[in-house]
Amino acid sequence: MLAEIYQGKILPSVIKHVTQEKINLYAEASGDFNPIHVDESFAAQTPLGGTIAHGMLILAYVSEMMTLAFGQSWLSRGKLSVRFKAPARSGDVVAVTSKIDSIENKNGVSYANCSLECHNQENEVIVIGKAVVELVEGES
Amino acid sequence: MQAKRNNKATISYEELTPGYEFPPASYELSSSLISKYLKAVDSSGDEFVPPLAIAAYAMAAMAGSLSLPPGSIHAAQEFEFFKLVPIGATIDCQAKVARKLTRGELHMLVLELNVFDQDREKVQSGKATIVLPA
Repeated sequence: MLAEIYQGKILPSVIKHVTQEKINLYAEASGDFNPIHVDESFAAQTPLGGTIAHGMLILAYVSEMMTLAFGQSWLSRGKLSVRFKAPARSGDVVAVTSKIDSIENKNGVSYANCSLECHNQENEVIVIGKAVVELVEGES
Repeated sequence: MQAKRNNKATISYEELTPGYEFPPASYELSSSLISKYLKAVDSSGDEFVPPLAIAAYAMAAMAGSLSLPPGSIHAAQEFEFFKLVPIGATIDCQAKVARKLTRGELHMLVLELNVFDQDREKVQSGKATIVLPA
């Protein structure tokens, strides 16, 4: 697997269609029924103007992309740091993209340093961040 | 989703102070719970629990004891994953207030999360920054 990991590699993107039904499903699965996510009449009266997806739902898409790229290395030795720049809304098509900025070796252990971004169909950035994955030969 | 909590009282933002520890909670990451999560995030799974599912339940454990104003939103998030967690495992979630910040009319809360498995080994840690409505 390590042979497929190199500096400058663009990771396969994950694209998801956000719907209110999916937001509601996430609320039920996570127990997060904050009305900004599930109550259209409440959300319409806030500065956001309508319901928004849970940030953790969008991060699930990020983690899916990292899992597809790095397998168990991500699940057991991954680090993620993100900022939410704009909300994802029902009807948005969210694309998660990432690039391996560098491969670093510290004390005999290799790490992939990745920059990542989520944007919507208008190319508006929703999430920006970085991920680091400790790489172990033979894991996928 | 049902968590086993040691205390069911809730605390408000105003009552929180840095260092405050939320009542710990534990979850059994059953196949039905994870199936529900995977359906919600439109994904497929394998024998291991997605780390973001663990994070979601850890945050839910904390949210169950915290009363934030409606409209509070997630501004930033950090995670570190330490080990694979098989479906069926039981996790213990601990959360505490790292910081309370005020910038103008904005109030922010930084929460630290730590999740352990049944062998008391850390499986995940995280830091969530929440912005409260003005």
